[in-house]
Amino acid sequence: MSKELIRLHDLCMAFDDELVLDHINLYINDSEFLTLLGPSGCGKTTTLRIIGGFTTPTGGDVTFDGVRINDVPPHKRQINTVFQKYALFPHLDVFENVAFGLRIAKIPAPEIEQRVMEMLEVVSLKGFERRRVDQLSGGQQQRVAIARALVNRPKVLLLDEPLGALDLRLRKDMQIELKRIQQQMGITFIYVTHDQEEALTMSDTVVVMDKGRIQQIGTPEDIYNEPKNAFVADFIGESNILNGTMVRDGVVRMYRREFPCVDGGFAPNEPVDVVIRPEDIDIVPVEQGQLVGTVTNVTFKGMQYDIIVDLGGFKWLIQTTDHSPVGAQVGVKIDPDGFHIMKKSEYSGLFGDYSSYSEEYEELADVSALEEEESGDEE
Amino acid sequence: MSKRTSNRFGDSLLMGLVFLFLYAPIFILIIFSFNAGTSSSVWRGFSLHWYNELLHNRLILTSVYTTLMVSLLATLIATVAGTFAAIGFYSMRRSRRDTLMTVNNIPMMNADIVTGVSLCLLFVVFFNGWEHFAVWINSVQSAVTLPTRLSLGFGTMLIAHVCFNIPYVILAVGPKLRQMDRNLIDAAQDLGCTWMQAFWKVVIPEIKPGIVSGALTAFTMSVDDFIISYFTAGSSTSTLAMTIYGMTKKRVSPQINAVSTLLFVTVLVLLAIINIRESHQEKRAVRGTVSRPKAFKKPGRAVIILRRVAAGALACVLAVVLIVTGKAANARPVVNVCSWGEYIDEDLIAEFEETTGIAVNYQTVESNEALYSLIEMGGADFDVIVPSDYMIARLIDEGLLAELDYGNIPNYELIDAAYKGLNYDPDNKYTVPYAWGTLGIIYNTTMVDGEITSWDAMFDPQYAGQVLMINNSRDALAAALLDLGYSINTTDETELRAAFGRLREAKDAGVYQAFVMDQVFQKMEGGNAAIAMYYAGDYLTMLENNEDLAFVVPDEGSNWFVDAMCVLKTAQHKQEAEAWINFIASTTSSLANMDYIWYASPNGEALEQYGDYYFELYEEELDEELFAIMAPPVEVLDRCEIYENLPVDTLALYNDLWNQLGI
Repeated sequence: MSKELIRLHDLCMAFDDELVLDHINLYINDSEFLTLLGPSGCGKTTTLRIIGGFTTPTGGDVTFDGVRINDVPPHKRQINTVFQKYALFPHLDVFENVAFGLRIAKIPAPEIEQRVMEMLEVVSLKGFERRRVDQLSGGQQQRVAIARALVNRPKVLLLDEPLGALDLRLRKDMQIELKRIQQQMGITFIYVTHDQEEALTMSDTVVVMDKGRIQQIGTPEDIYNEPKNAFVADFIGESNILNGTMVRDGVVRMYRREFPCVDGGFAPNEPVDVVIRPEDIDIVPVEQGQLVGTVTNVTFKGMQYDIIVDLGGFKWLIQTTDHSPVGAQVGVKIDPDGFHIMKKSEYSGLFGDYSSYSEEYEELADVSALEEEESGDEE
Repeated sequence: MSKRTSNRFGDSLLMGLVFLFLYAPIFILIIFSFNAGTSSSVWRGFSLHWYNELLHNRLILTSVYTTLMVSLLATLIATVAGTFAAIGFYSMRRSRRDTLMTVNNIPMMNADIVTGVSLCLLFVVFFNGWEHFAVWINSVQSAVTLPTRLSLGFGTMLIAHVCFNIPYVILAVGPKLRQMDRNLIDAAQDLGCTWMQAFWKVVIPEIKPGIVSGALTAFTMSVDDFIISYFTAGSSTSTLAMTIYGMTKKRVSPQINAVSTLLFVTVLVLLAIINIRESHQEKRAVRGTVSRPKAFKKPGRAVIILRRVAAGALACVLAVVLIVTGKAANARPVVNVCSWGEYIDEDLIAEFEETTGIAVNYQTVESNEALYSLIEMGGADFDVIVPSDYMIARLIDEGLLAELDYGNIPNYELIDAAYKGLNYDPDNKYTVPYAWGTLGIIYNTTMVDGEITSWDAMFDPQYAGQVLMINNSRDALAAALLDLGYSINTTDETELRAAFGRLREAKDAGVYQAFVMDQVFQKMEGGNAAIAMYYAGDYLTMLENNEDLAFVVPDEGSNWFVDAMCVLKTAQHKQEAEAWINFIASTTSSLANMDYIWYASPNGEALEQYGDYYFELYEEELDEELFAIMAPPVEVLDRCEIYENLPVDTLALYNDLWNQLGI
């Protein structure tokens, strides 16, 4: 890709002796759409605020175009931010909100007029110039916030959960909109979210964070298909994660059986975590199955059924288009490329079992998303 | 249904009564401010006379200026300080912020009197400390000379006002800050603002409504304040409220009604502005969230211009008031005079200032005792005071008065010998008499049979419920002592107890309608009481409103009093003070004063010439009888005694007996 623009070197941050960033190393290329993804409290917002200049790191360096910018105040950085709840200025109308940065920079009035109108066109808000911002819908406010940041022609745009407050439908539209704007303007976006789907949809690069550490950096495909540990595997999409032993390259043992797989590079008989994505599992007649289990729960999801199958006490999530009734004995078949083998890590054994699965788990996920938002406020 | 209607009628009746109860006093005040007569109870027709008088009353103009200056400055300082304090609170952790907010709220809950007294105490303690410090500094070096003596004044009052205003500003600004999105400051900085720019361009506009209503509240509080100002302004400064209070102490001039009306209207307008602003904001907030109007309009050009014009006009009015009143208040060399309310023809002050170029800071105090405590407390910075005889003796005893240089007061020669060498200042070292008069009985000839000639009338059950006793121990007991044939300066306990017994007996028999000071004017003028004891000069004022009143110095004798000008030992303008005394003692000043205050002057020439002066001024003969009341002839004075300063034991007994009476 293109040249490197921002580098975080050994970045550490502590609030009241509590380490929130633990030796972060990351580089961000020009014109890249990079997403910091992780659950609440993982340090993603702190990282963003350090890049924006609102927080000074307790250790490590931030460089911009090769220059150390730790002590450069926010107003001197060629970086603009779209804040979580937009932070629009309520006492100014749409036009003046967007023109704010240009007025501070003492740009001549005709140019301001022209640039603001251009930008309002980009975000499809033409005709709203004289509206008060509190008379706009959430999506419109969102676009004002983006226009307000982009009109300054920053090299980097920071976005802190910008879609968090929008409803699902609007969120999907805005995802596409944001990606379009980023490509049109050709500038670097650093995007913070806890929504893995958002991250996968929009990003060139996804940085998965947890507990102040980077867990994995990669393209969306990489981190989905080749998660580095149980945390990433679980956080990105759905995963069944089982204990296994790598007998030799291409053969993994679990359930006292050997399965062919495509991974390798482990020591003989090394204990490993085995990830199997729910959509990579086929339900087959009992006699054709590599393993046999009992269906304990079935949920209709529209495109597919979410079926929970008890396999020797471990509950698997299987996504399939075929219906199987609860209580039925079924066979389970996995292709060799359906296995993803990971080294054991501190997250082993914490994720990947669907024993507690119930129909409410979607709702539970929503609740945790809400909690995330609230804790985000307090940061 | 019918029940419902009747309830409604009852509701509105109750409502009407409540409002009547709340506002009737103010309506009466406003109505009487347009009264043509001097009385506060008798309507003599509509007139703007008192408003006109107001504009020529130096004392009031000066105090309006002081009030506006202190309120504006205090509002300005408190608004700035309070806003920053609120911002400081805002950035604190919740637990600390809550604690501090509680601390912040205490001064608002605290009784004003406690705040006032404690601030006064603080200042006095500080001044004492400062004196030691300044003396020490001046003794160890000579490059800078620090003033050693500080006193209460405008500065201390300003500090006090700032002090009690800040909590109101914090309370108004705090919620606005909490409503503000914390990210706004970050957002502004992100868009290229320095912190200060962000503060001015984003934070201030966001919290502006809070700042404005905080400032308005602070200003209203400042204008309204009496108690705290009273304790911290010292003696040489006085706000409008203090001046009004001082005026009521002597007699209720309808000017008070006029000035109170203006004050009421001012505060009403301020409150209206605050309320309209608030409801306006609420409406805007509601409109912003509920409806999403297609036709939202920025206020039209005309409206904006109108607003600007209104704001400009308001500013102009304020500026004009400040200039007009400021002119009355400002000048260079100064003399601080403290006297009684309504006790000088104010044209004299203007004349003195014109001829000498010395500015007169004219203050009033309500009683000898109040004056004494002001001086003793050390807060007073008066130069000239005008206490009464017995108080002068006490001040001389305690070494608080300065000896006068009579070489600077040539007009002292004009004072009649009868008023020199009196018992309070036998060697004529400290005083120049100002005015004198007698205490006597005022009665309504239509309500009393025959003439009253004896103090008996004050204790006579025949007039039960018709008699007004004077509400101060010395005068009240003097009446009883005289009635029993004792001296008013007796120190004999049995005599005093006997006098007390007479007083108490009458009180128990229901002779007294009330114990009064100022109210005597309304009650006697309005014919609400038949008999009262009061001062001769005040009788003449009452007579103007009720021709049926008569005055007598009873046969048993009475008190005659002399108020004299003295200079305090601590005076910082002794030369100017003596110039003032000399000016007041002159014949022309004495004549003008006599005509204005209805008390006799001790200036011999003035007493002789008053008849002619009166004729020239009013083109009618001076009523000899009235003049004899104002300046009683020698044979009357021979019956009277001057109060002497009583020994401490006797004073304590007076106090004790007075308390036993239980008024």
